[in-house]
Amino acid sequence: MELERLEIPDTPDTLIRVQQLEKENRILKKKLERSEKTCLELEQTNQRKEALLRKIIQELEDSQKEVEEKRQLEITLGELKQTQSQLINAEKMSSLGQLVAGVAHEINNPVNFIHGNISHIQNYSQSLLELIHLYQQYYPNPALTIQEKAEEIDLEFLQSDLLKVLGSMKLGTDRIRQIVLSLRNFSRMDESDFKPVDIHEGLDSTLLILQHRLKSKSSEIQVVRHYGNLPKIECYPGQLNQVFMNILSNALDAIEEQNNTLPAQGKNHNLGAITISTSVISLDNTDWAEIAIADNGLGIPEAIREKIFNPFFTTKPIGKGTGMGMAISYQIITKKHNGNLICTSTPGIGTQFVVRIPVHQSACRL
Amino acid sequence: MLKAVVGHSNDPDSLPAITEVLEQCEQALAGTEPQAGVLFAAIDFDHALILQEIHQKYPEIQLIGGTTDGEISSVLGFEQDSLTLILFSADKITFRTGIGVGISQDLPKAIATALEQATLGHQESIELCLTVPDSLTTSGVLVLESLNKALEQTFGKKVAVFGGMTADQWEFQQNYQFCGTKVYSDAIPILLISGEILFAHGIASGWYPIGKKGVVTKADLNVVYEIDHKPALDFYHYYLDGLAPSQEYPLAVFDTEDVDYYIRASSGTYDVQTGSITFFGDVPEGAIVQITETTQDRILAASKASMEQALAKYPGKEPVAALYFSCASRKQILGSRTKEEYTLTQTCLTNSLPSCGFYTNGEISPLPQQTNSCYHNETFITLLLGES
Repeated sequence: MELERLEIPDTPDTLIRVQQLEKENRILKKKLERSEKTCLELEQTNQRKEALLRKIIQELEDSQKEVEEKRQLEITLGELKQTQSQLINAEKMSSLGQLVAGVAHEINNPVNFIHGNISHIQNYSQSLLELIHLYQQYYPNPALTIQEKAEEIDLEFLQSDLLKVLGSMKLGTDRIRQIVLSLRNFSRMDESDFKPVDIHEGLDSTLLILQHRLKSKSSEIQVVRHYGNLPKIECYPGQLNQVFMNILSNALDAIEEQNNTLPAQGKNHNLGAITISTSVISLDNTDWAEIAIADNGLGIPEAIREKIFNPFFTTKPIGKGTGMGMAISYQIITKKHNGNLICTSTPGIGTQFVVRIPVHQSACRL
Repeated sequence: MLKAVVGHSNDPDSLPAITEVLEQCEQALAGTEPQAGVLFAAIDFDHALILQEIHQKYPEIQLIGGTTDGEISSVLGFEQDSLTLILFSADKITFRTGIGVGISQDLPKAIATALEQATLGHQESIELCLTVPDSLTTSGVLVLESLNKALEQTFGKKVAVFGGMTADQWEFQQNYQFCGTKVYSDAIPILLISGEILFAHGIASGWYPIGKKGVVTKADLNVVYEIDHKPALDFYHYYLDGLAPSQEYPLAVFDTEDVDYYIRASSGTYDVQTGSITFFGDVPEGAIVQITETTQDRILAASKASMEQALAKYPGKEPVAALYFSCASRKQILGSRTKEEYTLTQTCLTNSLPSCGFYTNGEISPLPQQTNSCYHNETFITLLLGES
């Protein structure tokens, strides 16, 4: 097909229009050249960006892996430290337990021997006193030598005091037997399996061991027992007693510290008190034994309270505390008994530790 | 009174382009004779012809300029392969140019020559120095150090220097500088300004360090040979998957406290045999370095921040003109969004402002709170000009 030739009028307007078209044509050609170069540059820029992104993502992943490994290492280290301290403590407690058990056993035999014979001595003494009484009744005027001897030994007083002395001795041996029993109770470290026990017995044994601190010369600390109706609780009795001992010792320290900070004249007005409450509570269809031990001591500031279960944390002077008592107690309650140990405190008012352990450990293992 | 007019043509042919530019200027000048001008031209133009045309029109004009990697103006905004000219006329401001050649051979001598020429004819104290040195033949840091020193020795005070290193559209082969009617290479043209000139500037980057840090263990001025006792190229290859280093991924060079950093971009020159990389500025041995990257939004936010800084510091009522010096790497990453750099700066203004600028291979300005000018990479510098 033949195209019709267009006639373009040669006017100034047409000339300007042609010049504009020529300029636009030049610009378009340049832009085309430029776009090819730009396209190549953009591709390279994009490639670099992608490469950098890939590398940074890889570094991030590596770094995350490192962080995770570090975290695992820290956890392992923490567990190792705890295990180490538990081992040390277990070894210490085992030796102490054996020692206590040994001493208790060695004392137990002679004490029982004495205690058993006191009854005989009481009977023999009673018989002898009755015989003397009969002599005095039938021979009101004995020989001079006998009269002199009776005066010398103050027979009348001896007759009235002998049975009292023997009664007192019996009380003393009773007390020794009770302490020995408590020591044996307390040092039940050899028991390696859960055993249903009377928690109240453990608490009482621990209190008895601490008796000397409850009734010291300077102050008297009242112990209030609100014992509920607890069934026998499945636990490691020796370890649980150790927890009670730690909590009660700290309570006594806090009360003593509170007393020391009071002005001298006020000391008599402040009565230190430890309140022990026990009960059974039901949580998530499980029965739990709850033992709350509260004191009206100095209290624990919040900053310290957060750390009290940390191993080696102590506020006591060097040599007074190892910083392991509460850490081990926490482990015993949470790990060994699947329970929990909670501390609440108000500085200046007092502190309460609540121990919660399942009544039946089998319920927790399910 | 200072007056500034701008012409800008995107015609790729030299003669029609300069003709269009001069027509625009002439119209805006409205009969006023310009005393000075700054010309920014794409690399492909016939620069000698362009300069001749300008001088034919304005024989007395004090003109400097150079080749670019993109041009900016208040006439066309951002363009590539274009030509833009800003002309100044003023009664109480003096402009004088000077040119120093062979900066790679004898930099102090070149600067001394340029200063000697540009000092002639000033009656009042020098307030400002504009310059557009060659970017490829020597270290930008060295150029600035020598220029600062020479200015202080000549005038007995610190003089603020602004400008950009000339470019060649990302080819890194050869770029050109203009002074009067002549085209130079390996040169430093300067324009000294005295009298009642007012100015303020803003500078911002938008690049941030990423990845691992390394220590420069072997370097000579602007050539880094080793990082962490390994070839410097390896440091880049590690992150860029074997690709060559480029201006878009400059190094952050940390100070001794490991807090603040400045940026050094690769000039595109590297040696595969030795593993060395050449940068536009010096990188000292022992410096802690880290690769940097950016995003388009960060770059654009920095451009706007630069204008905001300059406006906040401007001492007069309203500026008369603006000059922009933006790094070529910014354009490289912004791609089709490059035009937003200029348009964003305009959102800070209430009135239109005659302005002109170019995409550089290195920017020159003082840091925000300082007088001594430094050499920068990856920045956007706004220089506002006016009369007191």
